[in-house]
Amino acid sequence: MASSLRISTVGVRGIVGPGLKAHHALEFAAAFSVLLDRSGPVLIARDPRASSVMLREGIVSSLLASGRDVIDLGLASTPVLQHAIQRMNAAGGISIGASHNNAEWNALKFLGPNGTYLSSGEASELLDIYHLRKFDFKDWTQVGRLHFDDASIEAYINDLERVFEVRDLVGLKIVADCSSGLSSLILKRLKDRHPLDITMINATLEAKAFAHTPNTNARTVGLQLAPVVQAIGGDLGVLFDMDSDRIAVCCGDGEVVSEEMILPILAEYQLKRQPGRMIITNLSTTSLVEDVAARYNASVLRVPVGRQHAMDALAMYPAEKIAIAGEGTGAVMLPEFRFVYDGIASLLALASHLKREKTSLKRLIAGMPRYDMRKVEVKLGAKRIPEMMTHLEDHWSGCRMNTQDGLRVDIEDGWFHVRVSNTEPVVRVIAEMRRGSVEDLMAKLMDTVRSYA
Amino acid sequence: MREHKLKVGVSGVRGVVGEFLTPLLAADFAQAFGAYVGRGRVVLGRDTRFTGPMIEHAVACGLMAAGCEVVRVGVQTTPTMQIYISETGAVGGIGITASHNPAEYNALKLFNGEGLFFNHYERTELLDLFHQGDFAEVTNEEMLGFTVDEATPWKRHVNRIVKHVDVERIRARRFRVALDGVNGAGSEMSVWFLKDVLGCELHAIHVDPTKTFPREPEPKPESLGELMALVKLHGCDIGFGQDPDGDRLAVCDEHGAMVDNDDLLALAIEAALARAPGDVAVNLTTSNVVDEVAAKFGRRVYRTAVGEANVVDRMKAVKALIGGEGSSGGVIFSGTHLCRDSYTAMALLLDRLAAEATSVSKIAGALPRFYRRAGKVQFAHGKLGGLMLAMEKNHPTAQLERTDGLKLNLEEGWIHLRASNTEPILRVAVESRNEARADQLFAESMDLLRA
Repeated sequence: MASSLRISTVGVRGIVGPGLKAHHALEFAAAFSVLLDRSGPVLIARDPRASSVMLREGIVSSLLASGRDVIDLGLASTPVLQHAIQRMNAAGGISIGASHNNAEWNALKFLGPNGTYLSSGEASELLDIYHLRKFDFKDWTQVGRLHFDDASIEAYINDLERVFEVRDLVGLKIVADCSSGLSSLILKRLKDRHPLDITMINATLEAKAFAHTPNTNARTVGLQLAPVVQAIGGDLGVLFDMDSDRIAVCCGDGEVVSEEMILPILAEYQLKRQPGRMIITNLSTTSLVEDVAARYNASVLRVPVGRQHAMDALAMYPAEKIAIAGEGTGAVMLPEFRFVYDGIASLLALASHLKREKTSLKRLIAGMPRYDMRKVEVKLGAKRIPEMMTHLEDHWSGCRMNTQDGLRVDIEDGWFHVRVSNTEPVVRVIAEMRRGSVEDLMAKLMDTVRSYA
Repeated sequence: MREHKLKVGVSGVRGVVGEFLTPLLAADFAQAFGAYVGRGRVVLGRDTRFTGPMIEHAVACGLMAAGCEVVRVGVQTTPTMQIYISETGAVGGIGITASHNPAEYNALKLFNGEGLFFNHYERTELLDLFHQGDFAEVTNEEMLGFTVDEATPWKRHVNRIVKHVDVERIRARRFRVALDGVNGAGSEMSVWFLKDVLGCELHAIHVDPTKTFPREPEPKPESLGELMALVKLHGCDIGFGQDPDGDRLAVCDEHGAMVDNDDLLALAIEAALARAPGDVAVNLTTSNVVDEVAAKFGRRVYRTAVGEANVVDRMKAVKALIGGEGSSGGVIFSGTHLCRDSYTAMALLLDRLAAEATSVSKIAGALPRFYRRAGKVQFAHGKLGGLMLAMEKNHPTAQLERTDGLKLNLEEGWIHLRASNTEPILRVAVESRNEARADQLFAESMDLLRA
């Protein structure tokens, strides 16, 4: 069970108790204060998990001891926290919550000034400080003070309204599955301000018993949301993860839309208004992205999987050159809204797109090509992974290869990507065929991969 | 001399905050505590030190990780917390206070489910668990939250006290009282208690819990100059000086002179025994004035090793009515709770002044007169036994008591030698009815020990 703990440049994640423990919260918060080489308060927010309160206590203590004032936003999503860091010109922030994982998990996400995720360099420095225990606890005259702020969601919505046409949501009949998480707090306020037809389900914040796994994939949508949407009818069903940083959707008749479609749809929305800009995505995302890019004379930059790689790529280009950045998980960042993964912003962009195109999600999806994509996970001992990768490289040596993150191979009419997860001890195999079935390709790959299991 | 900036030991954790006492240590210790007391409610409070909230969050983290439900009572005195724990079915409590130590220190005071300090055995078991390190880590499913109750603890505390005194009689006297609250945990409670509950005309200084300690926090004559001046300025009947966590009390008479701590304990014992029968327990270093007072009422005095927990253990075992530790200004009245409590001490004294229509200087002056001297000597490790032996040889006729260090009972008084728990220091206390003899015994002892 101890292997449920994952300390990496993404942050700290684990099953609370056997994996993620109180001392991780204390030590990482202390290390984070050292990493932030500017003065100013540190903001924190948490999801409704019971363990989030425990972790918050440790984080607050270490930050105060490090001489930092702390502003606690209470129950608020990572995008709201990121917004508040920028608005308050804070030194940084820590988001407590395990987003799409089940209730027994928790995680800490570290955010720098302006609310940005840490770059790979910063994240690895944080790990160094943590491992060396180079903390900087102050004497009694310099300990920080804790403040509370419960206006952060309002301020976030004010900002959303400046960037998006929230009124584009009016007239759309939407069923929103909040996954017992934080999106409900934002949707309720949006409904207070505008005459929106949003039916919220699983909208009660839960500490332990989540309505379902708060994961934004087609499977969860199909099992949880689609039947409800089908029953009550509407234009659109939207499922948020616990943290509301990403969405998955279904059509009004309950037809499930693959999470891979979110990025291409929103990329089109962006490129239509701003042709020629660049799309940043990872090596595992559908090639529909390239199709959209081709239509609007745009380029696609493919980076290794993981938020920090997208952030590193974003840092290399001016914001006005970028149309969108995102992943096949349904997590996208829009340059107009601070380059953070934000499910609420995704929903607003989707609504605006439908309005402008005078279409429905159903028709939009029907007009897009269907590519056959499969994702398989295999538990594999770390020892034999290089051998397996070499085996695959030898076998596909005639094709175009990318080895930045495991192995991605482009073949005629398709591609595949074999990589090791950043968050779990598994190998992920993703394959897509633009024509025909992906089954044969997948079977071939799995033969090789499984022979190393 | 080595500076003791951090002490992790049987009395808990105490240290200079920052470099020494860190949130990591506090959380770890709290987690061990939580694992030890088990999965129930644990009361968490603090004094007014600036580092209190920081340590409180660390302790809450450790307790929750161990599966405890945390009841936060905010800024409360130590006796208030102890009473609250005992009344609310908690499995234990942690008070964040370094008591009379300076502001740069903080510490964890540990209480069991009865609201008593951990006894020697409990402390040892906890320390073993802490060192072993593999304490409980509960999952999200098993985790309990926290509740907040900052308003009722004072009320419960005062409700207990007023049962044992005649509040109307005290109110009728409209005592003029001076108070130095050292900006401690009791600041607001003391103002309310003295002014609103006991109807005194109050002249209070340093009762702002948002400020730091304005003086050395230990309430003793050297640190209470302002209180003495305040008594004189307003012609008060009595002056009270507290420590940051409200367990100790120092008293100043109507002339602005401090009452000796041993005499204060004797006065409180006299007041208590005048109202109800019961025996007395005090530590070995407490003055014999206590024995004479108890003898007047035909009651027995039990002597214990130094330390509040030791006195309380004995009081509990023999069902004593009252006890305390002379030198530290702590009065323990079982009617309220088995803890040192400055509020009970205040109430007992005011009640007695009201009942007898008398003054502090008169009742203190009526006590049998003893002369006390105290000092300390540094010793090299390994030399302690030799020093004790030399003292025994020097007083061949003395009756010896070895419960805590060495006490030599002589016809004309006593000498008590006790090594400190935290430093290589030998504390020397001498008492005699005869002032010259007290001086002589003290000088002799110090010369011998220093040689």
